[in-house]
Amino acid sequence: MDNKVKFNTKNLDLFYGDFQALKSINMEICENEVTAFIGPSGCGKSTFLRCLNRMNDLIDCVDIKGEIIFDGKDINGDIDVINLRTRVGMVFQKPNPFPMSIYDNIAYGPKCQGLKDKAKLDTIVKDSLERAALWDEVKDRLNKSALGLSGGQQQRLCIARTIAMNPEVILMDEPTSALDPIATLKIEDLMQSLKKLYTIIIVTHSMQQAGRISDKTAFFLMGEVIEFNETPKIFTNPDDKRTEDYITGRFG
Amino acid sequence: MTQKIKDTIVKGVVYLATGITLCVLLFIIGFIFIKGIGLINWNFISRDYNDTTFYAFVQESNSPTTLDEKVQENKSDYDKKYETPLEAPVYVESIGAEITKVLYKNYTTEKEQFIISYISKGSPLLSAVNSNGTSIDVSTDFVLESVNGNEFTGMSTEEVKTLINDQSGELKIKMVEPGGGIRSNIITTLYMILLSLVVALPIGIFGAIYLTEYAKPGKIVNAIRFAAECLAGIPSIIFGLFGMAFFVVALNFQISLLSGSLTVAIILLPVIIRSTEEALKTVPIAFREGSLALGATKLQTIFKIILPCAVPGIATAVLLSIGRVIGESAALLLTAGTVAQIPGTLFSPGSTLTVQAYYVTKEEGNIEMACAIGIVIIVIVIILNILSRIASDKLNVFNKE
Repeated sequence: MDNKVKFNTKNLDLFYGDFQALKSINMEICENEVTAFIGPSGCGKSTFLRCLNRMNDLIDCVDIKGEIIFDGKDINGDIDVINLRTRVGMVFQKPNPFPMSIYDNIAYGPKCQGLKDKAKLDTIVKDSLERAALWDEVKDRLNKSALGLSGGQQQRLCIARTIAMNPEVILMDEPTSALDPIATLKIEDLMQSLKKLYTIIIVTHSMQQAGRISDKTAFFLMGEVIEFNETPKIFTNPDDKRTEDYITGRFG
Repeated sequence: MTQKIKDTIVKGVVYLATGITLCVLLFIIGFIFIKGIGLINWNFISRDYNDTTFYAFVQESNSPTTLDEKVQENKSDYDKKYETPLEAPVYVESIGAEITKVLYKNYTTEKEQFIISYISKGSPLLSAVNSNGTSIDVSTDFVLESVNGNEFTGMSTEEVKTLINDQSGELKIKMVEPGGGIRSNIITTLYMILLSLVVALPIGIFGAIYLTEYAKPGKIVNAIRFAAECLAGIPSIIFGLFGMAFFVVALNFQISLLSGSLTVAIILLPVIIRSTEEALKTVPIAFREGSLALGATKLQTIFKIILPCAVPGIATAVLLSIGRVIGESAALLLTAGTVAQIPGTLFSPGSTLTVQAYYVTKEEGNIEMACAIGIVIIVIVIILNILSRIASDKLNVFNKE
């Protein structure tokens, strides 16, 4: 493997109360690659994704066992969660721009970190929007509400907002499931270009999407990782019968 | 068939109930307006309730002005309260004003008095000062009682004119500013609204933030919610008794604006907590997640994202609170008193419009004035309603383009 390992999980178990949602996950996620998680609903792929920047903290009665090593440190141990979340950004299933101007949406993260310099903020906003391929569409209406954008634009704004924090990893939880095919295509193109700069981990329900954009794919079933391999291998010659069944559409 | 009859009956009952409600409402408002509208005029709003007696120092006019005939014809009628003059009005040159002898009516007394019925443009009365040297707004309807210590009692208008014209140099005139208005009550009401909101809003909002954002669901939170709901249901006289025992007596704040507003603030708390909580709950979880995922702290998320989204709900809380303050009488009667004056300090008493309406009805049997106050209250409530709606629209983050 050429790339450096970014995330390394060891025997990760996760419980919602009595229900075990993740069963002994061992996975190495590499830098500057797109890793896709596929699997039927309720298989634990989103839960696993949310473990990576500790968004599961928000949910009561979640119990996590095992290790998630990020740059040599266990993120469930004694680390600064705020710092972790600035380094591991997240884009959600439904676009969730804040009810403020486009500019303020992008500048929100840096401002929360204490950046006040207007000129620097301006640069960050412009760069982030350019990288998210949204600058040309919104440059004349930066002070208008972000809620006035279309769904696809809103999602790219959310990606830009995440990029503004200059993270190392971007987690995407079904980022295109609420979008039409054209908007989806734009986001997929965007992911390809962002891959050079960031490590991208994406949860998707669309196997075609996983096939198109990812370098590696993990297949989840009932809280377990059934198979994790190079994407072409998973889609053409899977090792496990269950993976093949899922990919060929026999269940799920 | 039977179902159809049932439907008709139920429909009839529904219409009847609506009709009764509407009729009662219209009847009450109609009653208040018909009874009270006669008293509503600028003087009613701009004057204090009590007569104020003071000394005015007036520099006698060097070049006495005479009354222009045309002006005399056009000048407004005397206030109806004074009815017909007992003697014809007389123009006093040295003070540039016309005085009239009338039967001056207060709500308790009735006696012959000299009132200023007209002030000419160049009159020295307009630059009158009090003993401290601050200028006084002398206007028509003021009662003149004496000049340089010479009482006017028992004199005729001509005699008074001669007496005033005979004086030289600075005149020291004893005047009475007639009362019968509700200015002090309006101002006390506004003070009361402001003060109680200043106390109750931060506490209520922070309490609601604690309940929705920080508290783990469990017994304590349920207990707090239960307590808040109980508070909302307790009659305000109980709060009044508490305020009287605690703020007025134990803390020795006296019967005052402060005691009153603190007591009202307690009454407002449950209202504010509840509406703010509801508003905070409606903020989508996606905003919280989005903010936290960007590395914002919980506090930053609350103050930069959640609270701004909850502004319309908080505005509703403010509106309800204002309604509560204006409508409050029992608690304020016990803690802020019934003195119709503008409270000079936090520790001086003052009566709000509602308390004043109670007072004039109960103590003086003056239903007309109570109804007139009712009209003023209704107008104030409508104005505040419109204002807070405008403010809420302006601050609503979801409305912005």
